[in-house]
Amino acid sequence: MSAEIKAHPGMEKPPTTSVGVLGWLHQNLFSSLLNSVLTLISAGILYLLGRGLVKWALTEARWGVITSNIKVLAWGRYPNEEAWRLGISLLIILAMGLLTWALRRGSLTQNARRALLTVWVLSPVAIVILIHGITLPTIATITNNLGYYIYRPELMPLLGEAWRASAALLVLAFVAGLTCGSVSKRTERLLSLAPLLALFLFTLPLGLLANGSLFGFDLPRLLPQTFALLVGFFSGMTVGRALTSIAAIRWLRIGSWVAVLPGLLILLTTFDVGVESVAPVEVLQIIEPNIWSGMMLTILLAVVSIVASFPIGVLLALGRRSSLPVVKGFSVLFIEVVRGVPLITILFMAQVMLPLFLPLELTVDRVIRAMVGMTLFTAAYLAEIVRGGLQAVRNEQVEAARALGLSEMLVTGLIVLPQALRAVIPPIMGQFVSIFKDTTLVTIVGLLDLLAVGQSVIKQREFLGAVREVYLFAGVFYFVISYAMSVASRRLERQLGVTEES
Amino acid sequence: MSEPIIICRDVHKWFGNFHAVRGIDMQVEKGEVVVIFGPSGSGKSTFIRTINRLEEHQRGQIIVDGIELTHDVRNIAAIRSEIGMVFQQFNLFPHLSVLSNVTMAPIWVRKWPKQKAEEVAMEILTRVGIPEQAEKYPGQLSGGQQQRVAIARALAMQPKIMLFDEPTSALDPEMIKEVLDVMTELARSGMTMLVVTHEMGFARAVANRMYFFDEGLVVESGTPDDIFKNPQEDRTKLFLSQILSH
Repeated sequence: MSAEIKAHPGMEKPPTTSVGVLGWLHQNLFSSLLNSVLTLISAGILYLLGRGLVKWALTEARWGVITSNIKVLAWGRYPNEEAWRLGISLLIILAMGLLTWALRRGSLTQNARRALLTVWVLSPVAIVILIHGITLPTIATITNNLGYYIYRPELMPLLGEAWRASAALLVLAFVAGLTCGSVSKRTERLLSLAPLLALFLFTLPLGLLANGSLFGFDLPRLLPQTFALLVGFFSGMTVGRALTSIAAIRWLRIGSWVAVLPGLLILLTTFDVGVESVAPVEVLQIIEPNIWSGMMLTILLAVVSIVASFPIGVLLALGRRSSLPVVKGFSVLFIEVVRGVPLITILFMAQVMLPLFLPLELTVDRVIRAMVGMTLFTAAYLAEIVRGGLQAVRNEQVEAARALGLSEMLVTGLIVLPQALRAVIPPIMGQFVSIFKDTTLVTIVGLLDLLAVGQSVIKQREFLGAVREVYLFAGVFYFVISYAMSVASRRLERQLGVTEES
Repeated sequence: MSEPIIICRDVHKWFGNFHAVRGIDMQVEKGEVVVIFGPSGSGKSTFIRTINRLEEHQRGQIIVDGIELTHDVRNIAAIRSEIGMVFQQFNLFPHLSVLSNVTMAPIWVRKWPKQKAEEVAMEILTRVGIPEQAEKYPGQLSGGQQQRVAIARALAMQPKIMLFDEPTSALDPEMIKEVLDVMTELARSGMTMLVVTHEMGFARAVANRMYFFDEGLVVESGTPDDIFKNPQEDRTKLFLSQILSH
C-alpha cells in the first residue's frame, strides 16, 4: 500500500550528487588501503590472463577460417541463391523485436495493439513459409483432392461431361431460391445469392467457349446454363414460399446448404487424382528441412521450440491444477516423464520413436523431429515454472473475480494467468536461454547446427588446426544471443512492472 | 419494503470438524440495510460469504432473489453477477488499471460494448469520488481510494444486493470516513446491503436491523435502537461495552 505523494509547492528537491570518473574510482575501487591492494592484485591477474588471448587474437589467429566460410557457418547447405529468404526472415524477427522493445505500456490505442498482436501471431507462419517455400494449389487440385477423399473415384466415368455445369447451377440455384423465398432479412438473401453468382462466373468460360447442340443446332452452352439457373432459382423460390410457415424450414434451409456442397463437388470435379495437369504451382522453391543447417538451424530450432512450447507449457500447468482427473493425470504423467529423462535421450527418442505415433504415409523430417522433441522437453519445464506462478496468485484474487460473476474460464484467463505469467518472467526467460544453448545437442543425432558446421569447417585443408578461431566464434555467437535475451527479459519485467500488491 | 430478496433458513457450515456457522435464519427485504457484528471467529464473514457461494453451506437453505443456491454451476455465476461484494483487503486486480478493474465484469459478463462500460464506469467512479484516478493502477492508490474502487467495481455490474465483508478494517483511521461516506450514500439510494462491520456509528446511522453473532449463532437481533439502548443478552452488552468504550 503506497500512499500517493503529491508535490507540494514548498517541497524541496533532493540534493543532486554528481560523481566524476575519479570520484567513482575512489568510491568503488580505492576506498581503503585493503581495497586498493585488492584492486591492484585483480588488475594484475586480469592482465596476465588476458594478455595471451589479446595477443593471439590480434596477431596469430587465422580469422580467414571464419571470413571465407561465413556463408557456410550462417546457413550451411541452404542454397546461396535462396539465402535472401533467410535475410528477410531475420529482418522480420528483428523488426518485431525492436517494435515490441520500443513500445511502452499504454502507449498504443486498442486497434494498434490488436494489429501488432496479429502481426506477432502471423509472423512465425510467414517465416516458416519463407524459409520452407510454398506451393499454392489451384481450384482444380482443391476440388479433385476433396472429391477424391469423399467419393469413390471409380464411379466417376459413369457420368457424362457436358451437362455438369448446368446441373451444378440448377442445384445451387434451387437452394438459393429456397432460401430467398423463405427468409425475410435482406442481408440473408444477398448472402445466399453470392455463391450462386460465384458459380455462374466460374462456369461462364465453359459456357462461352464450348459449343453444344440442342435439337441439332449449334448453340453456346451458355444458354442451357442460364436456363438451368433460372429454372432452379424460381422453382426453389416457389417451394421456399410455400414452406415458410412450417417449423422445420430453418433446418431444411441449413440442411440443403450443407448437402449442396458435396453435390457441387460431384458435379464439378474431374476426379483425375494424381494427374500432372493438376499439380500445385510452386511459388517459392521448396527447401526441405533436412538441408537446413548452420546458425540458421540453431536459431530456427530455438525459435520454434520457444514459440511452440509456451502455449503447451501453460496448458500443461493449468491441466495439472485441473479438477478433471484424466486431464490432471495426463499432465502430471507428461511433465514427470519428460522431466525425468535427459534432453539427449528425448532427442534420440524423437528420431527413433516419433514415427511409431504417426500414420505410415506421414514421414516427418529429422529436423522437425528434433524440433518436436525440444518443444516437448521445454514445455514440461515451462509447465512447472508456470505452475509456480499460478500458486503465487493469491486466492483472494480468484474470489474477487468469482464474486463479480466471472466464469471459471474467465477467472483463469483474465485474472490468474496474467498475474502468474508476470511473476515468472525471469525463470521463463532463463528456460528459453537454456533451450537456446541446448540446441547444440542436436549434433549428436546428426543434425548440422552451427557447432557441427564449425567442426566440418575445421577439417578443410587450408585451415587445418584453426580450432580456436571457430570455437571462439561459436562461443561469442551463443553469448551475444543469450545475453540479448536476458537483457530483453529484464526490460520486459520493467515494462510490466506495475504489479505492486495492493 | 415487502418481499424478501435474501432468505436464509438454518444455514450451517463446517471447516473440517469446526462448526463455523451453526444454524442462521435471516430474511432481508429489498432496500434494507442489515449490519452484522460480533467478535472475530463468530462466523459472520463465513455466513456473508455463503450468500454468493464463495463458501458452500452444508445444511439449510439460501434463496437469493427467488433462486435457491445449489450445486448447479451456471446458476451460481448468474446469481453472483447480481450480488456485489466488497472485501476487507480490497482485492483489486493489480495488473489492471482502475478503469479496467471496473469495466472488466460488465464487458465480459454483461457483454456490454467497451464504450458503454467505460461511460458507466466513469459515472460510478465520479459517484465514489475518484474519477481522476481512472488511469492509475491499484498499487498507486491509498487504501481508502482502493476500497472505493472496489465498491465501484461491484456497482458497475448494477447488482441488486451488495455484501460488505469488514470493508474498513484494513484502513487507516483517516481513510475510514471516506469509505463510510460512500457506503452511507449507497444505503440512502435504496441499495439492499448486508454489512459485516464494527463501525457502530455507521450502523446507528443507516442500518435498518442489526444482528449480533457469536460462536456461529445469532445471539441477538433488532433495530439499532433496540441493540444500542436496550440489549437483552449479557454477551451483547459486554461486547458493545468493549467496542464502544475505546
